[in-house]
Amino acid sequence: MSSEIDFDELLAKYHSDPFDYVDVFAVHTGIVTFKVGDGDEVDSASGEWQHIPGKSLYEINRERNPKLVAAQTNGIVSDVCTELDGKFVEAGEKLMTIKHPLKKKEIIENLLKEVLYLFPAPETAKYYFAMDIQSRIEKKDEKSVVIEPGEEIITMSLMKRDTPVCYNGERGVIHSVYFKPGVSVPQGEPLIGICSTEKLPLIQKIITRVKADWDSRS
Amino acid sequence: MIKNNPASSGVLNELIKLEQGFSFHPSIDYNVVRRLSSFVGNSIETYSVLARAMDRARNYIVEQDAKGVSVESGRVFLADSMTGSKGRFTRVWHAPDGGVWGCLLHANTLLPHARQFLSLAVGVACCETIRSYGVETASIRWVNDVLVGGRKLAGFLVESHISSLTDEEYNLIGFGINVNNSDFPKELSSIATSLSTCLGSEVALSEFSEKFIARLAWNVGLLYYEEETYLHEDHYSGAGGQHFILEKFLKLSDTIGKRVVYGFDVMTTPQYEAQVLGVDQYGGLVLQFDDATSTIEYSGEVRYIDSRI
Repeated sequence: MSSEIDFDELLAKYHSDPFDYVDVFAVHTGIVTFKVGDGDEVDSASGEWQHIPGKSLYEINRERNPKLVAAQTNGIVSDVCTELDGKFVEAGEKLMTIKHPLKKKEIIENLLKEVLYLFPAPETAKYYFAMDIQSRIEKKDEKSVVIEPGEEIITMSLMKRDTPVCYNGERGVIHSVYFKPGVSVPQGEPLIGICSTEKLPLIQKIITRVKADWDSRS
Repeated sequence: MIKNNPASSGVLNELIKLEQGFSFHPSIDYNVVRRLSSFVGNSIETYSVLARAMDRARNYIVEQDAKGVSVESGRVFLADSMTGSKGRFTRVWHAPDGGVWGCLLHANTLLPHARQFLSLAVGVACCETIRSYGVETASIRWVNDVLVGGRKLAGFLVESHISSLTDEEYNLIGFGINVNNSDFPKELSSIATSLSTCLGSEVALSEFSEKFIARLAWNVGLLYYEEETYLHEDHYSGAGGQHFILEKFLKLSDTIGKRVVYGFDVMTTPQYEAQVLGVDQYGGLVLQFDDATSTIEYSGEVRYIDSRI
């Protein structure tokens, strides 16, 4: 958690290049066939339940089991490794990059992720707040709920197996919640962002600054 | 006097019967499965009344840790009745005399890809036990509810517990099976059933428990067997290389093809309706929406349309 933030530098960076560069990797070993080329525009999953897949990026075929891999983010395709088309690739090999245009909300979230303590999902699963935390959130609001290291804060649910997840970061308030009950969170993605109470004014300053600066320039 | 009082020797006898009763399988060595299973039910604690068997299992772990002695994986906790039993979330579970209520304590020594099938395995174990009594219409609703004629006969709850002293992780497998209890509260009377109702007569409760614990042991043993098979051969022992527990689940489940309402907590927050297309290789439920798109769910629960139990 950092308190030394050079807002001018960060904002200038986002103004000059308001994009995220999302690398796309092979999901497993196999023979890869590209479905897009450089400059193609792609959409991410959509629909009320995110059930309509995004644009197909590539097909990977392992032991006659083809698998279509779709875009997880919208943007413009670049740096497609065309030399790998039709070739065998290892799991995790970089295949292309998607240049994703950032919205103001995403920029704020990115900045906050640099100053909050991010508590990651231990497994790809669905998550919900432990009953005690949920009732405290309902009584106050999440930004008033202080959590302590070792406290059981979240329940992980996978195949009807519920696992209590204990918080192992520093004491603080729940500033950002990155999961929704009933929506799967990939392993390693943040579940919550925690901020110590004394740093809350700094967080608010970041949000206000970005909103004001972005609106005045756009 | 405790009414449900199965013996660990009885569980072992049932396990041996299971091993001897199966016909030859080209990929499965049943003797190895039986040996991998035999730790389950080695010790059985029985009570006349408990608040919750899962709480008793948690206390047992704390007690053993405090004494500095090992926690016995495979230990089973049973109570004739439970006063504070609950289902998932905050749902009440009715647990009077006559049912089989309890918890299996399992030290989590399974790899993640094997543990994924644990919830399916407990449903399979129960459904197989119910069918062994001649109730051939018993079926599994994904993930592991056991139904007969659309009414719920058994439910399971798997919770993890991590020892605060040793950091060891345990699976607490809670089970509630309506065996001889056939009087249900008004709110459950139209959606629940029991084995004795299905058979028209009561069964010997301790004997039932021995059979069920043995089936549970057998299917847990299969998890270990399949874990080892996959590590050696890069595929499982079931048809087409699928997990053998999954193959058994597919034979016992009536969920595929059903129109369902899905929800993470389907009773309070139903999310959508869809058609069940199948189950993927990891046990996830493949659902198709009315616009022909599909999704896969690895948690949550379903209720059959027109049969919201």
